[in-house]
Amino acid sequence: MSKTKRKKGVLREMGVLIALVAMFAVFTLIDTSFISIYNILDIINHSTINGLMAIGITFAILTGGNDLSIGSVFAIVIVVTGKLLVAGVHPILASLIGIAIGFGLGLVNGTVVAKLKLQPFVATLGAMSIYRGVAYVITGGWPVLRIPREFRQMIDGTVFNYVPKSIFILIGFALICHIVLKYTPFGSYIYAMGGNEEATRLSGVNVDKFKIFAYGMVGIGAALAGLVMLARLGTGEPTAGQGYELDAIAATAIGGASLAGGKGTVLGTFLGAILLSTLKVGLIVTGVDTFWQYIATGTIIVIAVYFEFIQSKLYRKSLVAE
Amino acid sequence: MKKFIALFVLVVVALSGSVALAFNPDDEAGMSLEEMRAQFGAVPYGHGSLKFGAVAKAFENEYWRTLREGYWAIQDKLQAQGFDITIDVRSAQGEGDQQGQLAIVNNMVNQRYDALLLSPISDGNLIPGVENALRRGIPVVNVNDGLIEIAPNFVGPRAYDNGVLAAEWIADKLGGEGQVAIVVGMPLAFAARQRTLGFEDWMTENAPGIEIVAKQNADWDRLKAKNVAEIWIRQYPDLKAIFCNNDVMALGVQEAVNASGKDILVVGVDGIGEAYDSIRAGEMDATIDSFPYYKAQIAVEATLRVMGGQDLPRVIWTPQALIDSTNVDTPAEEIIGWTEAEFVN
Repeated sequence: MSKTKRKKGVLREMGVLIALVAMFAVFTLIDTSFISIYNILDIINHSTINGLMAIGITFAILTGGNDLSIGSVFAIVIVVTGKLLVAGVHPILASLIGIAIGFGLGLVNGTVVAKLKLQPFVATLGAMSIYRGVAYVITGGWPVLRIPREFRQMIDGTVFNYVPKSIFILIGFALICHIVLKYTPFGSYIYAMGGNEEATRLSGVNVDKFKIFAYGMVGIGAALAGLVMLARLGTGEPTAGQGYELDAIAATAIGGASLAGGKGTVLGTFLGAILLSTLKVGLIVTGVDTFWQYIATGTIIVIAVYFEFIQSKLYRKSLVAE
Repeated sequence: MKKFIALFVLVVVALSGSVALAFNPDDEAGMSLEEMRAQFGAVPYGHGSLKFGAVAKAFENEYWRTLREGYWAIQDKLQAQGFDITIDVRSAQGEGDQQGQLAIVNNMVNQRYDALLLSPISDGNLIPGVENALRRGIPVVNVNDGLIEIAPNFVGPRAYDNGVLAAEWIADKLGGEGQVAIVVGMPLAFAARQRTLGFEDWMTENAPGIEIVAKQNADWDRLKAKNVAEIWIRQYPDLKAIFCNNDVMALGVQEAVNASGKDILVVGVDGIGEAYDSIRAGEMDATIDSFPYYKAQIAVEATLRVMGGQDLPRVIWTPQALIDSTNVDTPAEEIIGWTEAEFVN
C-alpha cells in the first residue's frame, strides 16, 4: 500500500512536468540563451504572485467550488497594508494585518457559500465586485505611494545578491499547504467533500466549517500575493489584480486539478504556475510578436491540460492493473 | 484536424494583411487649438440654457478623473460669466463595462441632452447611442480614443506625436547612439499602436544610430512591464532607454531599472501624478502629458463652436508636451501657453 501511494505521488504531476520540460526544450531550440540560470530565476520569480494565488485557490477548487474574488481581495490587502505602512506601522505588524484581512475576507466568502448555499461561482463573482469597490472607496481611486524601504526589503529583498526573498514565501506557503492537505484531517475532509459532499456530511463531518476554512486559505494566498506585489512595485494600486483569478485558475487546471472538485495537488498547481511563467518569459526572450503571443498562450494552455488528461488516464489504468 | 489548423492559420494570416483603420484622427488634416482660435475667434454661446452630457471611460483611472475636473472647471467658468450651462460627467463602471457605458449615453439621449462629449471604451460600443443622438439632431463630439467613426467631430491629442516627442528626447539624450526598447500596451490598440508607430518612424528617419532591439506587450500592467524589463536588462546589457506606452508601465519598468543599478532612460506617456513625483525624485526621466484637464475644456469649447455654426475641421488636436526634470515644476498653463477662451452671446 505504501508503495503504491508513493508511486501515485510521483505519477500524478508527471503530465505537467513533461509539458514543462518540453516547453524548455522548445524555447532552448529557438534561442540557446534561454536556458540560463538568470532566466530560470526570472521564471520562478515571476511565478510567485500567480503561484501564491493559485495555491490558495486550489483549496476552493478541491471542495468543488471556486473563488473569483481573489484579485479584489489582493487589491484590498495591497491598499490597506500600504496605507498602514505609510502611516508608520511596523512592517511585520502591517503584513500580519494584511494576511488577517485576506483570511477574514476569505472566511466571509466561505460563509456565504457554505451557509447561504449560494453557488461559489456566483457568490464570489458578487464578492469580486464588492471588494473591488471597497478598494476604490478606501483610496478614492488613487494609488498608495512611497511604500517604505524596510518593508520592500523584508518581503522582496534579495539573498545572495540575486535570489528574491519572495520566492521563499511561495515555497514556504506551498510546503505548508501541501502538509495541510496531505497529512491533516482538514485536508482529507476537503478532498472528501470535493468527491462527494453529501456522503462526507452523512459520515458526520462538519462540512460547512471546513469549507469556510478552505476559503480562508484562499484569502491567505491572495493576501500573501498582495504583500509580494506591494513590495515589488513600491506602490499600492486599487486597480491591481484584475484578471489574476483567471491566471490562478489556469495554473491549477494545468497542474491537474479538476474544477469539479476532489482532484488536484499543491505540487501540481505550483508546477502549473511555473509552466505559465516559463511560457511568458520564453515568449519575451524569443521575441514572439505580441498578437501571436495571445494565440500561443491559449494553445499551450490547452495542450498542457491535454497532457495532464492523457497522463491521468494512463495513471488510472496503472491502478487497475495493480 | 491538420487541414483545419492549416486553414485556420491561413485565414488568420490572410485577414491580418487586410486590417485597416476606418477612421484614424492622426491622419486627418486636423487643427491645433491655437489655429482654431485664430481662425474662428470668440466662442458663440447663443443657446440659453444648456445641458451637456460627458461620458468618460472609467473614473478608476486618474486620467479620466482629471478629465472630469476639466469639465467641472469649464462649467464653473461659464456659469461665473453668466452662461446657463450644466455638464453632467459620468463614466462606465470600469474599462470593461461597454454595455453600461452605452446605457448611460442612451439615457442622456432620451433625456434630450443638448450635446454629448464621448470617450468610448472601444471603437464600437457607443455606436447605437451615437446613431440615436445624431438622428435626433444632438451634436456628438468624440473626446480622445476609442474612436467613433460616425461622430462628426474629434477632440484629442495626436497619439502619433506622443511617440515622436519621446523619440526626439531619447535620441537627443543618447547623442543619437544606442539600443532602445519599447513596452507596448495592447488591448486598447489605437493609442498603443500610434504611440509606438510615431516612436519607430521618427527613429528610423532621424536617428540611424539608434537601434530598437525589442518590443513587447505588457497589457498596460505595471507588474508585467516590470517583468519584461527585468528580462531585457540582462538580455541586452547595452540597453540605454525604454519607451513605455503609458506611465503605469513606465513606473513598473523604473522599478526594474532601479533594481539593476543601471543608468537606463525611462519615458512614459499620460503625465499622471505619480509619474511627476517619480521625475521629481530623479527616477523616471520623462513623460508625455496630454493635459486631460485642459482637453476637457477644449472639448466643451469645440462643442459650443459646432453648435454655434462654425465649420470646424473634423479633428481638433489638443496640446501635449514632454515633461522632464527641467519643467516638472512649471505650471501646465505655462508649458502649453494656455489662455482662456472668449465666450460671447
